[in-house]
Amino acid sequence: MELTGALPGLLLQVGLGVGAAVVLLYILKLRRRPIAVPFSRLWEAVLKDKESTSLFSHLKRLLSLLLQLALLALLLLALGDPRKKVQKSEGRTLVVLLDASASMKAVDVDADMARVLAGDASEDEVRRECQPGSPELERARELGVDCDCLWMTPEGARLETESPRLRSRLDAAKDEVRALVAAVGGADRMLLAQMDATVTPKSTMTNDPVELGKALAEVHAVDVRADFSEALRFAKDALRGLPKAEIVVVGDGALGAVGSDVELGDVKLSFVPIGESERNVAITAFSVRRYPLDKSRYEVMLEVANTGSRDEDVELTLCGDGLLADVKHLHLAAGESLSRFYPNLSGAREKLAGRMRLRGGFVDALPSDDRAYAVLPERKRARIQVVSPGNMYLDAALLLDEYLDVTTVAPKQYPAAGEFDVTIFDGVNPPVAPKSGHLFYLNPGADNVPFKVDKELTSDAKYTVGFDEVDEKSPLLRYLSLGDVHIARAHPLLGEKDDKAVGKSFRGALLLQGRRQGQKFVALGFDVRESDLPLRIAWPLFVLNVINDFVEEDTGYISSFTTGSVWHLPAPAAVDTATLTLPDGSERVVPVKDGRAIFLGDTAGFYALASGAGSAAESSRFAANISDPGESHVAPAAELVVKGVTAGTLERFTVGVQPEIWIYILLGVLGISAIEWLTYHRRLTV
Amino acid sequence: MGVLDLFRRAAAPLSRRLSPAQKEELFDDEFQRKLDYLAMVSKRVFTGAIRAERRTKRTGSGVEFADHREYAPGDDFRYLDLHAYQRFDRLLLRLFEEEEDLSIYFIVDNSYSMGFGGGAKLRQAKRLCAALAYVGLANLDRVAIVAANAEISGRMQSTRGKARIFRVFRFLERIQADGPTDLGTALRTFVAQHKRRGLAVVLSDLYDPAGFEHGINVLRYNKFEPFVLHVIDRRDKSPPLRGDLRLYDCETGEEREVTVTAKVLERYGEAYEHYLEAVRRFCVSRQVSYFPADVATPFDELILRVFRRGGFLR
Repeated sequence: MELTGALPGLLLQVGLGVGAAVVLLYILKLRRRPIAVPFSRLWEAVLKDKESTSLFSHLKRLLSLLLQLALLALLLLALGDPRKKVQKSEGRTLVVLLDASASMKAVDVDADMARVLAGDASEDEVRRECQPGSPELERARELGVDCDCLWMTPEGARLETESPRLRSRLDAAKDEVRALVAAVGGADRMLLAQMDATVTPKSTMTNDPVELGKALAEVHAVDVRADFSEALRFAKDALRGLPKAEIVVVGDGALGAVGSDVELGDVKLSFVPIGESERNVAITAFSVRRYPLDKSRYEVMLEVANTGSRDEDVELTLCGDGLLADVKHLHLAAGESLSRFYPNLSGAREKLAGRMRLRGGFVDALPSDDRAYAVLPERKRARIQVVSPGNMYLDAALLLDEYLDVTTVAPKQYPAAGEFDVTIFDGVNPPVAPKSGHLFYLNPGADNVPFKVDKELTSDAKYTVGFDEVDEKSPLLRYLSLGDVHIARAHPLLGEKDDKAVGKSFRGALLLQGRRQGQKFVALGFDVRESDLPLRIAWPLFVLNVINDFVEEDTGYISSFTTGSVWHLPAPAAVDTATLTLPDGSERVVPVKDGRAIFLGDTAGFYALASGAGSAAESSRFAANISDPGESHVAPAAELVVKGVTAGTLERFTVGVQPEIWIYILLGVLGISAIEWLTYHRRLTV
Repeated sequence: MGVLDLFRRAAAPLSRRLSPAQKEELFDDEFQRKLDYLAMVSKRVFTGAIRAERRTKRTGSGVEFADHREYAPGDDFRYLDLHAYQRFDRLLLRLFEEEEDLSIYFIVDNSYSMGFGGGAKLRQAKRLCAALAYVGLANLDRVAIVAANAEISGRMQSTRGKARIFRVFRFLERIQADGPTDLGTALRTFVAQHKRRGLAVVLSDLYDPAGFEHGINVLRYNKFEPFVLHVIDRRDKSPPLRGDLRLYDCETGEEREVTVTAKVLERYGEAYEHYLEAVRRFCVSRQVSYFPADVATPFDELILRVFRRGGFLR
């Protein structure tokens, strides 16, 4: 027997202090209530009998004192939490890693769904109704079994094609862990951790079923891949130095390979498999982009996969801003992956959603990967001021984008009235007026420019001036090539240290990009009319790339992020925090560093990022998708192998061991106190 | 106030001449009329001082024939029994019983214990004393009242006649519970101050630490005829006590620590009953008239039924 609770030294101190107080109270004579009687002699006969038993009374008093001291000793013993050594040594220490990755949202463990998946029943036969806002509907949405445009009835009161009251693999896993918690013995300890892209301990190392129950209730599945290596490292660290260490993995086993640095050592690994079916189709890639030369139109790329072992006929639907854009019927062979392009789409301004479902009224195991989301880059109407004596090629290039408001002024009329996002100086370089925006110089002179203009280069028989070296990753040169442009005359441009030479001849930079006090500039060191550049498709692309770069309208916009990774979202550099609205409508404040909001996304759907306040307020939208073929392979693993070692099955706990002696001590103390109280008030012991 | 007013006042019913408090405290007109027909019974015959309605040992000018005796020169010729002279040829003188008054002393215990528990016992003693004093005054007896605790704390001189009942009331009103009980000492003083013997009605709870016997014996040994009206409050038998207590005597201050339980209370009740029985047995064995007067019993019932049935009144 040993004390596992309060330290013996502390118990001794408390016992001495409280014991001394108890003895002192007994030594101090009890102050009795004075009562007057008319004739005390009448009490003498009574009191004479009492006096004859005074010795017994003293003895009873002493016994009462001893009883109180015994109760105190028992209470202190209970605080010490005594346990048998053999019981303590037999206890197991477990870290339960509960898989909460996207594949755990699979609903193949649902009884009705299992019938559907097995082909024993159609979805119509097991359809269940729910009310908008009801827990069943919320639950269905949490599992990804909802649609945000087409598949709801106009009233939104009933899901037409979904079975909302579904039971996911995570629910089944929770049931397993719940049974595990119920079976844990008094000497055992358990730590519950949620395993997804990170590892989140949900409880302490305890055997308290209430705490473990609460921890279990906090676990929820997210749309990410589980980082099994990190989870094993965490579990190994948590179990270091503890007896009978054991890691229990509860999940479908789709956890991927383990890093080379993970060593289990003496820690036992157990696996509780979850899952029934492997029938699943998924959208594994979804991307959208606007056409650079016609930004009102866009194209969509979709990749769908059948990760099951049977051929599937699927219906692929595309929605733009809630309106049906396209429906395709596909046949996917077992394990087949197909890519589909939707060119020349128009109509949608912001949101695109893809949806896939099995034909014939069937649903697959994992509904959450049947959807994909994307956000089109926002269109801005840029105000362009062209200061030029006349340039047909420039005017033609600017006409290609209907979202440009072009104001052309002669050099002498500069500046034009109003405020502009971009000012293009075509062969002129007057002093820059306020409200000119960013600056685009074509063949600039030496004065009033934020760079130096070198002496002229001229093509001759030996050397043709051109771009000998270009920065192909520069957004100014996206979708175009300047390698074989021939230039008759040019002036090399000399920028400052932080300026960037995007295109250079071997004698100097011809395309210079930089920033002065927040004002961007791009300079082309030759007159395009003295080159063959205007005759190429590269010219209008180049002009529009420059303007897009100035107004931060990026044709390379990321239409969707992938869950499970840290997102760096564009945000104003002047703010420290931004408010991120999650797909479920909840808001979260995220930090902003170097103009990027940082967030670890774990849920697929549409997001909104807002920052700043008042006139400086800015907002943007983006989307996130699972886009993880690994998570779409929902076939449950029968066994879990880590570094060649197969995880064993979970051994049952020893039932009936109840080492919580302190509870019985406390009950004993309460019982004795109750008896003492009763006997005292019935004057049996006084 | 003229003579007529005094006469009217004397002739008016008693209750009409009493204050409301006195009426409440004492008795009403009906009760008063009943008291007019009562008289206290004395087993012994005492020598009176003046003529009244009580027989005495003396022979004199009464109307009740007592005895004959031989004529002696100087005797009044009017009392010669001529019939006896004719029959026996002897001069015999007729003797008549002298009717004199009776001295009745009311000894009211006014110790602290009589005022204990709201003063019910003292109040009962006062009422009884007033009623009995009225009976005595109505029979032309000499009535005196003393208040006694450890000493004689108050005394009303002997008086006669119904009209003196107000003096009785006033004296009784002034009596307050005070001081410890020592009837032996107090009554020794009493007998020393009252040479004329008579009835001595003791109204007391007899809570005398020195022993109730001493006081009664003092009266007995000094030729008084003691009547013990034992004022009892049954609440004394079962006091509402519980728990660890320090009991102190309301008169002596003597303290006792006791843990009062139901069992202790039961034993105390038995001790109380034993005490009452001891008092009764003592009085009976000494031929002392003893009447328990429970405060719970209405005092008019005590006067009109209990005392009459016990022979204290007729």
